[in-house]
Amino acid sequence: MSHFSFIEGPRKDPEKLDAEQRRHEFRELYTGFDLGSARLQADRCLHCGNPYCEWKCPVHNYIPNWLQLIVENRIEEAAAMSHETNTLPEICGRICPQDRLCEGACTLNDGYGAVTIGHLERFITEEAIGRGWHPEAPRRTANGKRVAVIGAGPAGLGCADILNRAGTEVLVFDRYPAVGGLLTFGIPPFKLEKAVIARRAQLLEDMGVRFQLNTEIGKDLSMTQLLADYDAVFLGMGTYAAKEGGFPGENLPGVIKALPYLIGNVRQLMDLPDPFTPFVDLAGKRVVVLGGGDTAMDCLRTAIRQGAVQVTCAYRRDEENMPGSRREVANAREEGVHFLFNRQPLEILGEDSVAGVRLVETRLGDPDPRGRRHPEMVAGSEQVLAADVVIIAFGFDPSPAPWFAEHGIHLDERGRVVTNAQFQTSNPRVFAGGDMRTGSDLVVTAVDEGRRAANGILDYLGV
Amino acid sequence: MTQSLYSPEFERDSCGFGLIAQLDNQASHYIVATAISSLARLTHRGAVAADGKTGDGCGLLLQMPEGFFRAIAAETGLTLGRRFGIGQFFLPMDESAATPIRDRLGHEAADLGLALAGWRPVPTDPDACGAEALAALPSVWQAFLNLPADGDIDAHERLLYRLRRRLEKRFAGTEGFFAVTCSSQVIGYKGLVMPERLPDFYPDLRDSRCASALVTYHQRFSTNTWPEWRLCQPFRMLAHNGELNTVQGNRIWARAREAQLATPLLPMAEVLPAVGGGSDSFSLDNMLELLVQGGMDFFKALRLLVPPAWHNFPHMDPELRAFYEYHSMRMEAWDGPAGLVLNTGRIAACALDRNGLRPARYVITKERILNIASEVGVFDYDHRDILVQGRVGPGQVIAVNMHSGEFLDTAAIDARIKASHPYRQWLESHAVHLDADDAEGQPAMAVGDLLSSEKAFGVSFEEEDQVIRVLAEGGQEAVGSMGDDTPVAVLSTQPRHIADYFRQQFAQVTNPPIDPLREALVMSLNTVFGAESNLFEERPEFARRIEVHSPILSDQTFRALTSRSEAQFRARTFDLTYSAADNTLEGAIEALSMAALDAVRHGDVILVLSDHALDRDRLYIPALMAVGAVHHALIEAGLRTRCNLIVATAHARDPHHFATLFGYGATAVYPYLSYAIIRSLRERHAFSQPVTEQKALENYRKGIDKGLYKILSKMGIATLASYRSSQLFEALGLDRRVVERCFQGTVSRIGGASFAHIENDIRGLVRDAFLPRKALPVGGLLKYVSGGEYHAYHPEVVRSLQHAVKTGRYGDYQVFSGLVNQRPVTNLRDLLQLRPAQAIPIDEVEPIEAITPRFDTAAMSLGALSPEAHEALAIAMNTIGGRSNSGEGGEDPARYHNNKVSKIKQIASGRFGVTPEYAVNAEELQIKVAQGAKPGEGGQLPGHKVTGIIARLRYAKEGVALISPPPHHDIYSIEDLAQLIFDLKQVNPSAYVSVKLVSEAGVGTIAAGVAKAYADRITIAGYDGGTGASPLSSVKYAGSPWELGLAETQATLRRNHLRHRVRLQADGGFKTGLDVVKGALLGAESFGFGTAPMIALGCKYLRICHLNNCATGIATQDETLRKHFTGLPEMVINYFRFVAQETRELMAGLGIRRFDDLVGATGHLQVGGAQTSKQEHLDLRPLLFNAALQNADSNIHTLDRNPPFDHGELAERMVADAMPALERRIATHLHYPIRNVNRSIGARLAGEIARRYGNNGLAEDCVQVDFQGTAGQSFGAFCVQGMRMRLHGDANDYVGKAMNGGTLIIAPPEGVTYASQDSAIVGNTCLYGATGGRLYAAGRAGERFAVRNSGAIAVIEGAGDHACEYMTGGQVVVLGEPGVNFGAGMTGGLAFVWDRQRQFPDLVNGELVNYHRIDTEAMAGYEGLLRRHVEAHIAATKSRHAQDLLQHWAEFLRDVWLVAPKAARLDVLLEEAS
Repeated sequence: MSHFSFIEGPRKDPEKLDAEQRRHEFRELYTGFDLGSARLQADRCLHCGNPYCEWKCPVHNYIPNWLQLIVENRIEEAAAMSHETNTLPEICGRICPQDRLCEGACTLNDGYGAVTIGHLERFITEEAIGRGWHPEAPRRTANGKRVAVIGAGPAGLGCADILNRAGTEVLVFDRYPAVGGLLTFGIPPFKLEKAVIARRAQLLEDMGVRFQLNTEIGKDLSMTQLLADYDAVFLGMGTYAAKEGGFPGENLPGVIKALPYLIGNVRQLMDLPDPFTPFVDLAGKRVVVLGGGDTAMDCLRTAIRQGAVQVTCAYRRDEENMPGSRREVANAREEGVHFLFNRQPLEILGEDSVAGVRLVETRLGDPDPRGRRHPEMVAGSEQVLAADVVIIAFGFDPSPAPWFAEHGIHLDERGRVVTNAQFQTSNPRVFAGGDMRTGSDLVVTAVDEGRRAANGILDYLGV
Repeated sequence: MTQSLYSPEFERDSCGFGLIAQLDNQASHYIVATAISSLARLTHRGAVAADGKTGDGCGLLLQMPEGFFRAIAAETGLTLGRRFGIGQFFLPMDESAATPIRDRLGHEAADLGLALAGWRPVPTDPDACGAEALAALPSVWQAFLNLPADGDIDAHERLLYRLRRRLEKRFAGTEGFFAVTCSSQVIGYKGLVMPERLPDFYPDLRDSRCASALVTYHQRFSTNTWPEWRLCQPFRMLAHNGELNTVQGNRIWARAREAQLATPLLPMAEVLPAVGGGSDSFSLDNMLELLVQGGMDFFKALRLLVPPAWHNFPHMDPELRAFYEYHSMRMEAWDGPAGLVLNTGRIAACALDRNGLRPARYVITKERILNIASEVGVFDYDHRDILVQGRVGPGQVIAVNMHSGEFLDTAAIDARIKASHPYRQWLESHAVHLDADDAEGQPAMAVGDLLSSEKAFGVSFEEEDQVIRVLAEGGQEAVGSMGDDTPVAVLSTQPRHIADYFRQQFAQVTNPPIDPLREALVMSLNTVFGAESNLFEERPEFARRIEVHSPILSDQTFRALTSRSEAQFRARTFDLTYSAADNTLEGAIEALSMAALDAVRHGDVILVLSDHALDRDRLYIPALMAVGAVHHALIEAGLRTRCNLIVATAHARDPHHFATLFGYGATAVYPYLSYAIIRSLRERHAFSQPVTEQKALENYRKGIDKGLYKILSKMGIATLASYRSSQLFEALGLDRRVVERCFQGTVSRIGGASFAHIENDIRGLVRDAFLPRKALPVGGLLKYVSGGEYHAYHPEVVRSLQHAVKTGRYGDYQVFSGLVNQRPVTNLRDLLQLRPAQAIPIDEVEPIEAITPRFDTAAMSLGALSPEAHEALAIAMNTIGGRSNSGEGGEDPARYHNNKVSKIKQIASGRFGVTPEYAVNAEELQIKVAQGAKPGEGGQLPGHKVTGIIARLRYAKEGVALISPPPHHDIYSIEDLAQLIFDLKQVNPSAYVSVKLVSEAGVGTIAAGVAKAYADRITIAGYDGGTGASPLSSVKYAGSPWELGLAETQATLRRNHLRHRVRLQADGGFKTGLDVVKGALLGAESFGFGTAPMIALGCKYLRICHLNNCATGIATQDETLRKHFTGLPEMVINYFRFVAQETRELMAGLGIRRFDDLVGATGHLQVGGAQTSKQEHLDLRPLLFNAALQNADSNIHTLDRNPPFDHGELAERMVADAMPALERRIATHLHYPIRNVNRSIGARLAGEIARRYGNNGLAEDCVQVDFQGTAGQSFGAFCVQGMRMRLHGDANDYVGKAMNGGTLIIAPPEGVTYASQDSAIVGNTCLYGATGGRLYAAGRAGERFAVRNSGAIAVIEGAGDHACEYMTGGQVVVLGEPGVNFGAGMTGGLAFVWDRQRQFPDLVNGELVNYHRIDTEAMAGYEGLLRRHVEAHIAATKSRHAQDLLQHWAEFLRDVWLVAPKAARLDVLLEEAS
């Protein structure tokens, strides 16, 4: 271990499955680090006076601190510290766009190769659990308060975790048959294997969090009932309304929405079929995905694995400005995805089913006062891309439940739940956090929201 | 509280002093006249006020000229009896005020059985005074008092003392009244005049009948110019040169002991309180006088007050050691640089502090006249008439019994005092020693719920990991870089440790820090338990005390101390926690104090203050507040010395926490929570190396001990006993009530947090402590953590600045400046806002180009920075007309004469690469007295950073660590600084000399002293500055905000009419134009920027500068990393132009066109913008006082330079005489007589040579100069190749300072009778920072010979203590006895030492050097080398001593040691030396 580890040993990701093999499997790509390589990689950290990684991280993980603990082989303490800021560290370690967050901000990212923070974050929990460690159950007797959490996704789990640690009785409701929300049903297993989430659910249960699944509030159980039974309610219900492109042909058969497609695929793999999100098999199809976010990447790579013959991503800005994680773009490319940048869809073509997409080339305009550059169409650059299936992955809008108004839960003009700084909605006993409050965002942001909301609830309950 | 930040308590003084005595007690006027002329020849050691006439004061203390006064009495019709005494008084000029005093004296005298024969108005001539002295001119009166027929001299002196005390107490508040002396044995004449005017002012002194056999004399250099006639010295017994760093603690303890004092000889109530304010020297005089008048033997009293170092001298005579140990239990040392001369009329004495930090040289002539003074050669004598020529060494005393004519040296005095009682036997049968490092057992106080305790007492993960763990692992404090960019405690929105409100004071200029590592032998943490006894009695049972070596108690020691059965150590525990529901913090403190008083009254001795009982629903008194309050309550009640205070606390974790507890009176500390954390860390395998529990705890204690040494030494204090209760802190942000109740007497200038605020913070901590959902806070005080403490250079600030300097767009800069200017309140200036004003168009404001020349980059050495970064800064600053600063480390001559030159060249304590050529290639020479990141501390450039180029520039070896000492070894006092400034102005008369100070309470008065020492420029740096590596507790706790220091300095300089003489700069955390404008309004004319230009160059504020692994290639010497450096001068230029533009915009907003009009215009500022209740509670109005100052100096400097009064005529003549030959490189030989007032001789000439020919361009011995007489200080400073100076006579301190070449020869004139090897021929600190050249001196040298030498070759015939300290090169031959601590910190070069007494192994500091015999065949090469040096010495000096040695070579060789660095290989070393 030396102060020069960062130049003596280069950045090295863990081994990744060969792309050819990956194309056919829904397994995670990366093998984990072993202890030795984890320590070598962690030792590259400079322990900057300004930890840019931590500053950029939405939950402000104590990254340099736990890297140091890895070097010192104090994995259990690292795990405990990692859990202090994050309920789902092993999950975030897998799916966060680190290259845009911690690793992107890492001092060493300028010319030396950033520390492999994501993989190390994952390593910590995996290694600690492997050693028999588990998050500590609350040390004190119950505080006598009961809180209901609606939604077992990242926000709900984050919230439940903190409430539970404080000795609150927590019951988490979810309409799905398994814990995790989109973590389970939205994210494909090649990024996040379902056993990981199941294990996390078990850890939370072991700590005292209880789950009631297959229960949709407003349908299976009324909000009125919840408010009667619990001291407070947390809403962590996400955003599910798919954004539309607003161009002709969007309703043609063969145009499918990203999320139902992904959910259908996961349910098929989990053997939990559901009529509302049927399995769609794209084997042998020419597939075009419109959009450039992580969901688009997930669709592209799912399609590859299903055996699609041609998979193309069309995105309206350039690669530099694409929101999706660079790592995932690279992985997608390796797996055979074809990228078309600076292409804006104008129309989906076809008679009774999709035949292709009409695109126009774009270029980035001058920066606006805030420095953002908007794409402008290049006249005369239209072209048609042949396709059998077009997946729309433009992101999600809030999907407020019909009963919000009746319980005095106000929304903003974009349909997001309005809260104060303590995450309290206009109904004092109802709190909210995650995508439904912020609009569609990262998993890690939702976790953070849920956890902070829990502290708001505890302060409100005076415990 | 004064209106401004200035306070009289900040005054410091230092000086020159002396004593002259006729050993056979034959009184003569010659002695008096010679004392005065000697005094005049020490004028350069004093200061002259702005009026050019008022000195800082001088005076004489005469053995009573009895015949003179009898004659005077006869003339004036007063009847004197067989015995009489004279009271010499300053009385108010106003007769109506003076009359009652004179009347009262008559009454009191009669009451004491003395008869007032009458009053004599002492003739004085006010024409001798300057305007400032006249403003406070007193009338001087003598009371002639006839003494009773019975009683001896001592009894008479006591009566006169009592009379004086009665009057002093009665008229304590009377302006203008002061009793100069009141004695039958001595009389003092003193005044605020220049020494040569003293007999003009007092014609008595010119009267040939005024005859005396003994006179002490003193010339004062005070840091301020308030006319204070009473503070002129000598006082009633002593005159002091130096500064007592411990005086505040000494005064407090003196008061605390009063209740225990009893002697049948004096009615205590009448004389107490005996120790008054005034100056440190005055208090010491008061104390000494009390002890002596109370019946203590004079020498015992002197040694008790100013003992030599003895703790770490195992070879000391055990009987003598016992004397010191016994007395160390009774009084702490009055510690600090001290040269003392004493005069009781019957005894003449001179004593030096334990570290020998002041010079004292003496001669005894054939007429049996003894003269001791700060310098040798202050009166005219022929060297052939000298019997003995010597110097007083560290911890030594010499004395003359005037009645017997006996000359007493240290050994004789020690022999006398040690034999007075069987101290050793007393100690052996009574004293109890507890071994601090007993095996660890169970915790004496276990922590049940560690997490809750940590949270409740504010421990974070960061502290656990970065502070406690590091201490427990390595026994050393962790090091950090880049200073402190967090808010001070009172501005923070986070609850902060109470110790965070305290800034450590540190020595700068008027007193030196100690090097606690290399000069460790003077340091001690010894701590004693049990009640103290009456000082006037010495009894065996008084030795019944418990001693421990460290006040950081282990579990074992704590248990042992608190469970003894004897009544005299009975212990009692006091709970520092209280019920949150039933009491308040203030109430709980009150109750605690009452309980403690009660317990001591009932006989409890060991009081344990414990916060261990904390639980939910309870709050705690911070231990520091508790100890401060109880300590003062006990003093108040006269009980303090009857008990000890042990603090068992969770609140003591880092060295500063401990230091504050001791500073406010704790006897010892038991840090139970730290121990629990260490045990837990170990269980969690948190240590990188396996370590036993016992070892980890020991390491921790050792680390705290070291930290304490460092904090003590920063103030120049050697022993914890003297540091305890000295309160050497400035409270920053504490409410007056809190200070009065808990920290009485502490400076707290701006108010702040109240009891309620502090309690509220604790309530929050305790609430969270018992909330399981609240995890242990991660921290954020040291490094930025989201949600933690605010950092002024947080990631976004860094990123936005770097973006702006790259794009060069002012709009991008405004994003950065917006982030900074609208940040949460972080610095005091954030609470000062610009007052709205009538704006003017920006075109009317002076241009950017007029503003950027006011910008300098702060000192950063090549060594700290990579060459690329260092040069980029220089190019940028030279382009915009500003200046870059070389830092401490020399500069590559390839950068001279082009735009890579650093226009400011720094002179720091290590003197690395400070050569004549370096000095002449500067526009400004900056003396770094202290640096913001770690004032009062030295530094170390680790070996791995010492690359080839750095080694070359620093005259060192590649790969070998380089040490920068904490003190400048040639600045132990203010007059020393004046001397260094003079040296620099001699070598480079065209350079401005600047002095860099760090803000602390009192810095304004120090700055006044610096201005009087003829600096041209002064920089006030804030705590938040600093880029260098530094121990964490120094980063966080030393130095105060520049806003305070600057405002204080501006006001003090103006008030003293000194401001026009110096340009003032502020430095510390400057980022934006708003900072610049606020700095200017508070008084700064120019600005130093450290971190911001670094960031502009690409620094990412990693804070790893000390590790050499800087990823941005800036703070590293690593080749690979340096390739990653992407900074360009243009980025720095962009940054400074942006700042200047923003400054212009703000000036336009204020309606100000010229920058000069901003300076000091505090009227444009208003207080506002508080965001927290604590911030609202601050009173920042004193910062804005300047604009309201009446009758003061200008706001800006109006003189380009501040020329010294000493024009250096001899040096000018030498240059004029040598110049024709010099210009044509023709050899020339010159001859001059020389006197001690001719200072820095050679430097002026050396500068002229270096300017023309560089260091090595002139042929050897081209200019030869012979001198006859005694040279002043710094003889041969900056000597350069081409010069050969031969002095027949002797020289004072600093011979060969910074010499780089040439030869200096000093030898006694022919015909002298004294033996050269027994006589002092040069003073202290010779060859300091020498980089080459040769010195041959036929005689002994003083302390610290060849300190930091890196190339000079020297032969001398004996050395004082600490010779060859920090040496990195060169060769030193000592043909006589050396002192102790030889070779401390020596990493290069070699030395030969003749050890005739065979005691060298006890004298050498073996940490870094080995010593070898050379009388073997294998060492023949070294023998040859030595022989060549001895022969050269003989050729140069004709030394008889050396000739003797050469004749008995084989015999001589047997007793010679070769001293060589452990790191060096002997064969290589020899090769390099030959």
